[in-house]
Amino acid sequence: MPETSRIASRRWAGTAGRPVAEVELLLTGLAVWAYGVALGLADGEAQAGERLQAAIAAACQGFAALAAGEDGRLWFLGLLLAGFPAPGQADPGPTDSGTDLEDTPDLLLYARSGAAGWPTTGAEPAAALLDRLGPGRVIQALRRLPGDYRIVCTLYFMADLSYEEIARVLQYPVGTVRARLHRARKMLQKSLWQVAEAEGLGDGPGDPSQ
Amino acid sequence: MTRRLDRTTCEETFRRLDDYLDRRLSPEETRLIEEHLHLCEACSREFVFEASVIEGVREKLSRLTAPPDLVARISAQIRREGEAG
Repeated sequence: MPETSRIASRRWAGTAGRPVAEVELLLTGLAVWAYGVALGLADGEAQAGERLQAAIAAACQGFAALAAGEDGRLWFLGLLLAGFPAPGQADPGPTDSGTDLEDTPDLLLYARSGAAGWPTTGAEPAAALLDRLGPGRVIQALRRLPGDYRIVCTLYFMADLSYEEIARVLQYPVGTVRARLHRARKMLQKSLWQVAEAEGLGDGPGDPSQ
Repeated sequence: MTRRLDRTTCEETFRRLDDYLDRRLSPEETRLIEEHLHLCEACSREFVFEASVIEGVREKLSRLTAPPDLVARISAQIRREGEAG
């Protein structure tokens, strides 16, 4: 029997006989989807991988309890978040600065980047600065947010969840999610600008070819 | 009826910008915001910039995908758990 057929014929214990291959496909898909969330909440790739594998172990153990019709994404995120300190208990951020992100005026990035000579008009005015920062620096900026704001922002940007979905995962009122997300966006702008300054981009784009 | 374009209107628009970007406003609120953005160049510039930051951050973060070796380890882990029962 070919290897794929043998795998497909196996049954997952305790899941009403669902094929192992089907469960593997489902859980692997969830893990790939949730990787960004793990990365946003972890200190780095290694820790993100460890937390993701711990969530997968919990998912394998608890898969039979996943109710029919239940949103598997939110269920898996609950398992993943259980591996991180609860926001407000052991605040994971800011991790690399003592700056006060909470004191952030409106439109900070618009004002600072514009004053430095970065584009503020056009179809995608922030793209030039964000392109120069790249994904690595953008997630660095996200990780510098205080825990309560970092987790909401991570679920919003990384998992693309709605306010209601974030509220269900974190067991917050929707109004709390909305308020924290609005504030987190402002903090993220300040953090992005601080990272940009640290990268020498605070004086404008200069000549990108140099 | 012509709506007055004054500072209060700009502040009100800005206060609702995040909700507008996340499509959290009622059709009537959305219409009022869009009407103001159409008339007010400063708010329109700020709106486009804010939307661009959100879209740009989302786009950059979406590039951070799981490394293939981690995906392989997770698949193997799931198979082992399934076989162990």
